[in-house]
Amino acid sequence: MDALKLCLQQHCPTCQIEEGEQLSIIIRKEDVLSIADLLKTHHDFKMDMLLDLCVVDYLHYGLSEWDIQNATEHGYGRAQAEPMGSSSTWNGPRFVVVCHLLSLVNKIRLRLKVYLDDSLVMPSLVNIWPSSNWYEREAYDLFGIRFENHPDLRRILTDYGFIGFPFRKDFPLVGHVEMRYDGLSEKCIYEPVSIENRVGVPKVIREDHRYINTEIES
Amino acid sequence: MRNGQKKSFASKGYGVTSIDELVAWARGGSMWPVTFGLACCAIEMMHGAASRFDMDRFGWGLYRGSPRQSDVLIVAGTLCNKMALAFRQTYDQMPEPKYVISMGSCANGGGYYHYSYSVVRGCDRIVPVDIYVPGCPPTAEALIYGVVQLMMKVKYEKRFREDRLSEDGCA
Amino acid sequence: MSHDSHYTINFGPQHPAAHGVLRLILEMKGETVIDIVPHIGLLHRATEKLAESKPYIQSIGYMDRLCYVSMMCNEHAYVMAIEKMLGLEVPIRAEYIRVMFSEITRILNHLIWLAAHGLDLGAMSIFLYCFREREDLLDMYEAVSGARMHATYFRPGGVKQDLPLSMPQYKKSSWKTDAQLAKLNAARSGSLLDFIEDFTTRFPSCVDQYETLLTDNRVWKQRTVGIGVIDADRAKALGFTGHMLRSTGVAWDLRKVQPYSVYDQLDFDVPLGKNGDCYDRYLQRIHEMRQSNRIIQQCISWLRENPGPVLADDVKVVPPTRVDMKDDMEALIHHFKLYSEGLILPKGEVYSSVEHPKGEFGIYMVSDGANKPYRMKVRAAGWPHLSAIKELCQGHMLADVVTILSSMDIVLGEIDR
Repeated sequence: MDALKLCLQQHCPTCQIEEGEQLSIIIRKEDVLSIADLLKTHHDFKMDMLLDLCVVDYLHYGLSEWDIQNATEHGYGRAQAEPMGSSSTWNGPRFVVVCHLLSLVNKIRLRLKVYLDDSLVMPSLVNIWPSSNWYEREAYDLFGIRFENHPDLRRILTDYGFIGFPFRKDFPLVGHVEMRYDGLSEKCIYEPVSIENRVGVPKVIREDHRYINTEIES
Repeated sequence: MRNGQKKSFASKGYGVTSIDELVAWARGGSMWPVTFGLACCAIEMMHGAASRFDMDRFGWGLYRGSPRQSDVLIVAGTLCNKMALAFRQTYDQMPEPKYVISMGSCANGGGYYHYSYSVVRGCDRIVPVDIYVPGCPPTAEALIYGVVQLMMKVKYEKRFREDRLSEDGCA
Repeated sequence: MSHDSHYTINFGPQHPAAHGVLRLILEMKGETVIDIVPHIGLLHRATEKLAESKPYIQSIGYMDRLCYVSMMCNEHAYVMAIEKMLGLEVPIRAEYIRVMFSEITRILNHLIWLAAHGLDLGAMSIFLYCFREREDLLDMYEAVSGARMHATYFRPGGVKQDLPLSMPQYKKSSWKTDAQLAKLNAARSGSLLDFIEDFTTRFPSCVDQYETLLTDNRVWKQRTVGIGVIDADRAKALGFTGHMLRSTGVAWDLRKVQPYSVYDQLDFDVPLGKNGDCYDRYLQRIHEMRQSNRIIQQCISWLRENPGPVLADDVKVVPPTRVDMKDDMEALIHHFKLYSEGLILPKGEVYSSVEHPKGEFGIYMVSDGANKPYRMKVRAAGWPHLSAIKELCQGHMLADVVTILSSMDIVLGEIDR
């Protein structure tokens, strides 16, 4: 593990390394291709498989829907459906692309996190790990991240004329449109959504004393 | 034959049966579903057609690949917005008289995925439904109960569709 | 690029061999496939976004419905992720029950795979044989959780309840003689473990029946040997796991290489293929059913000898029993908090994966210290397999597309999520 960390730090001094149940490397998008190449070819790593590529949207990180800290003074109000709180506890960029890598030779797993800037563009990993093809399409479809030099970047999971990036935190769960069949025009049509999301259990963040020592501040 | 008919046969020497009943018996006794399994309920539908809960004994075992050769559509699984168009096309391609069984809570009203942006909240937004079978998934036995209900509906339905709902296909 | 001689077909979402809702746009030259473009997303239900809006326990049901033919394996990955984040220790009896049911799920998956594969290729009688065994396995699911398919049995901390001491039995009716009834109830007269043991005794002869029908069948071999061949390096590059990878000869099974739960204490083999074609994958899955049977037998003998708790002792994660809840104030408070707010996970992230019958099924969970996951990503085993379908089908004919699609064991529930 220490040898791996040393090797990474030598090659890319700007990367951050986190140790948890799995080694995580945090890099900027400029270093993506060179780090990916290192991880695939260097004998200590030999990451021959990209298992997963996903995106995390940190917009509402640390925001709860029900304020419980000040309840004794103000009393409990009805649970909100919108996240509230003065500031999120996340001090990184809003979007982070997370890749999970596996080495079948060295039997190690690695998590590669790429911090994206506001342009939401990242070089594609297709030439290094061909399995990232559809994962990048999914990331584009659901979050709006563009991958440079991807052979075929278009929607994969959402409906054919879908507008919006559904998994972003500011996109509502119920969406904006719903579908029904209209007998007069004999077509399936979209209409504005008629339901609201019903919050069964509001999101609550507890300052739990059991976890203070084990929390990994991201 | 019922008692009344037996008597008339015995007294008059021939039986008169109504066209309605004969047609309803023939229709209900052999309904061919089109393969329209979408999600998990499709597995229970397959169980319904397999060894233990044999649907073929009701005449339902012959699943047709083509909607043009089938009478009934069992919507088994979650209907999503992307699939809805293909679903309506499949329904439109079925010849009259056609029936729809909505199987499972996702097809009945969105179910476990009701609040999702990409799910049609009930297949009755797209096609008119005859029987709703609740469950998640409904056991094969529950589906067979729904099947028998549909057979009873077909048996007692009036031939010339006086009491069927309007034809435009809206719920 | 379209030529005048090429013909584009829509292998549409409503199709008996499409394995759920999958649309393939095939460009054909005569009967040979030139290009395939899969359209997925026809079953996209936004499971991950829905899971972000529900407490952890309420999302276990979503995991069942992802790969809906192997329910408990999906649950296993999810509860393992929660336990890893919490650092929770699961009692050993619960681990053995989990492994036993994971292997039952593996047999369930392979049976329906074999039934569907046979049906797609035209061998229809195997469908009825496999479903006959599946009914018994679903009876086991029902005995332990109440539901035939979506059990929601695995919970963070163990399993919901211990194995029942009696099985539901067939009742007297006017169309069964007493002798028939006795025969039907013979296996069900004892506890669930007796029923499973009876199944494991019968099952190898059932697998022999399937093999008699298919393994040396000339037509079956013509349809599957040399079809959908992939080599080891390309398979690794494309992200294949599970049977697709092992059929090329790469010995990678998470149960052996990175064992989780109690797999390191059990004795079983992992079949490897040689040629990377559909026939190898068929043989592997048949062999794996036998090995799963072996694992279940070992679990049964262990479970008979070792009673114990099936849920962890942690009061902040596992609800107290009803009896305790009615007597003890703290138990009542914990019951209330767990059932109204749900369990809280510390801040952090975790990736946990299991050797799912289809490959490596992983859950990546990010938590911000709340009672709901902040982001939950499901790594479906079939996603990279389906993305490589064009490469696998290159130069093959239309009928082979169906063979390759079903040998990849695709279930759209986990691909579309």
